[in-house]
Amino acid sequence: MLKNMKIGLRLALSFSSILVFMIVIIFVSLNQIKVSRTLFDQIIKTNNIRLQLANNMINHTREVSIALRNILLINESKKTLEFKNKIDSIRNQYDKDFKELEGLILNDDTMSFVIIAKIRVSEDASRQLNNKVVDLVMAGKHEEAILLMNQQASPSVAAWIKDIDELITHNENRTVMRITEVEKAQTAASLFMFILGTIAILLAIVISVLMTLSITRPLTLSLKAADLIASGDLTVDLTSAEKRGDELGLLLLSFSKMVRNLCGSVKDINEGVSMLGSSASEILAATTQIASGSAETAAAISETTTTVEEVRQVTQLSSQKAKNLSDSVNQSAQVSQNGQKAVDAIVDGMNRISEQMDIIAQTVVRLSEQSQSIGGIIASVTDMADQSNLLAVNAAIEAAKAGEQGKGFAVVAREIKNLAEQSKQSTSQVRNILNDVQKATSAAVLATEQGNKAVEAGVKQSVQAGEAIRILTESSNEAVQAAIQIVASSQQQVIGMDQIGVAMQNINQAGTETEVSMVQSEKAAKSLNELGQKLKDLVERFKV
Amino acid sequence: MKKENRTKLKNRAIAMAQEPMQKKEASIIIEVIAFTLVTEIYGIESIFVKEVYTLTDFTPLPGVPSYIFGIINVRGQILPVIDLKKFFNLPEKGLGELNKVIILSNGQMEFGILADVVHGTQEIELEDIRGVPSTVTGIGEEYLKGVTKERLIVLNAKRLLSDKSIVVNEEVK
Repeated sequence: MLKNMKIGLRLALSFSSILVFMIVIIFVSLNQIKVSRTLFDQIIKTNNIRLQLANNMINHTREVSIALRNILLINESKKTLEFKNKIDSIRNQYDKDFKELEGLILNDDTMSFVIIAKIRVSEDASRQLNNKVVDLVMAGKHEEAILLMNQQASPSVAAWIKDIDELITHNENRTVMRITEVEKAQTAASLFMFILGTIAILLAIVISVLMTLSITRPLTLSLKAADLIASGDLTVDLTSAEKRGDELGLLLLSFSKMVRNLCGSVKDINEGVSMLGSSASEILAATTQIASGSAETAAAISETTTTVEEVRQVTQLSSQKAKNLSDSVNQSAQVSQNGQKAVDAIVDGMNRISEQMDIIAQTVVRLSEQSQSIGGIIASVTDMADQSNLLAVNAAIEAAKAGEQGKGFAVVAREIKNLAEQSKQSTSQVRNILNDVQKATSAAVLATEQGNKAVEAGVKQSVQAGEAIRILTESSNEAVQAAIQIVASSQQQVIGMDQIGVAMQNINQAGTETEVSMVQSEKAAKSLNELGQKLKDLVERFKV
Repeated sequence: MKKENRTKLKNRAIAMAQEPMQKKEASIIIEVIAFTLVTEIYGIESIFVKEVYTLTDFTPLPGVPSYIFGIINVRGQILPVIDLKKFFNLPEKGLGELNKVIILSNGQMEFGILADVVHGTQEIELEDIRGVPSTVTGIGEEYLKGVTKERLIVLNAKRLLSDKSIVVNEEVK
């Protein structure tokens, strides 16, 4: 809290607090002096007067007693009256003093009232006795008066005086009490003032120390920071001091801002310098590369120039070749036209073959049908052979029944049977042959079908071949056109190659110039790089 | 005609022209008709054979045993036909032609038996006929005469013709 106050305010606050303490001390001491004086006044003005009055009263009483003795002693009427008057005046004096004394007694002093009452009682008694004495004297009873005086009035007066003495003693005691009170009050006041003064002194010391510290500490800090900044160290940390609200805090704050700004700019400069350095070195590398590259380019350009010359020669050669090609393409176009005609003839021939194959197939089918009917005939022949066999068996049976006469017939029957078997065998052979023939015809049918298919495929293929040759003819015509174009364009190429040769020489010259300028720029890049390095060294002196 | 066949026929003619009397002296000769039924070759004495006939048309009969194949018409005469395979309980294996009928007769009884192929007449010596082998099963032994060296099974035609079961069946019909 103290830190946030302005220094003037702070000083004013501390001094005013000390001032307040001083005022309090002065006020307290003045008050105390006043109290003491009142008490002393009371002692002097009241107690002393009271004492005096009481003493007066005792004196009056004694005077009365003396006057009374005088009356007794003189015992003359004239004198008695004179003394009696004197007694009355003394008594008036006494009453006056008593009244004054009573007025001076404070209300809290009950002891005094008690004593005064006692005095009054003894006073009344004494006065009556004294009056009696006087009356006796007046009456001329001198003896009786003396007796009364000695026996009663004198002790009464002594008691009276004793009472008044008691009042005096009491008053003295009260005076002593007052003085003790005053002493007590003064001691307390001096103690109080001593404590207050000590506190005030301590406070003054503390405030002065704190003030000094609060001013000198940030000043030292800023001094140190300023020293560091002067030596180039920008890493000073002033954030702790920034919280202060006073002028020193503001000073530190502006210091801190300055340092931050310095720091930022140094960083920016640093980055810029390092970027400058790196770019300078990159530029240097790039220029070096470009320099070497331009040398290579120059070499390449010279190579290219020679290559262009070679290409030009080759192009002339290819122009000639293109002419030859054009001729040969013309020839091949003619050949392909001939091929087309031949293929058309093939297609016709294939169609004829196909027709012939159809006829063959029909013939084979007919053959097959006829061999089927031959099979039928063979079956009936076999049947007949079977039946003749049976006939032979029956004949043999009949011959056996005929006995000896039938023996010749049996032989005949056996021969017939053999014949039938032979014809059966022959028919089976014929059947086998016929089977072979049938197999062969079906194979022939299959073969003719396959042949038909093959012929169809051949027709298709020959048509395709015709188409292919036609396309070939077209493309060879196109090739002829293309060859003519190639011849024209290759001549243009030759011209173009000449132009390229001239251009390449120009490029060569330009390359040489570039090389020279590249050397210059390399030098510039080197000096730029050095400059960047120097700047970097300069900036690196700052610590960020 | 080829020369081979000619010589064959000549040899056969010479063989046939020789006298059979010499053999007769040694044993009694019987003549049989040989025929094939499925796989086996059977023989039956020709004296009981009336005729061999080609089966062209037949009528199956209802309500008869399965071995009665049916009835046929031979030149106006109605004859029953017996399937010997069923009659002998032979196994039905393979496909035969079964288009021949051998008509048996002993003067009183007359019926046909089915055959696949009729081979013709053959002369057999009685001594050559052996007993029935144990392999030939199913056929009642009483219907067989025996088997020759050439595995020809000779049937007893006389026994067949006089068989009661066939006759009884005919009577029922």
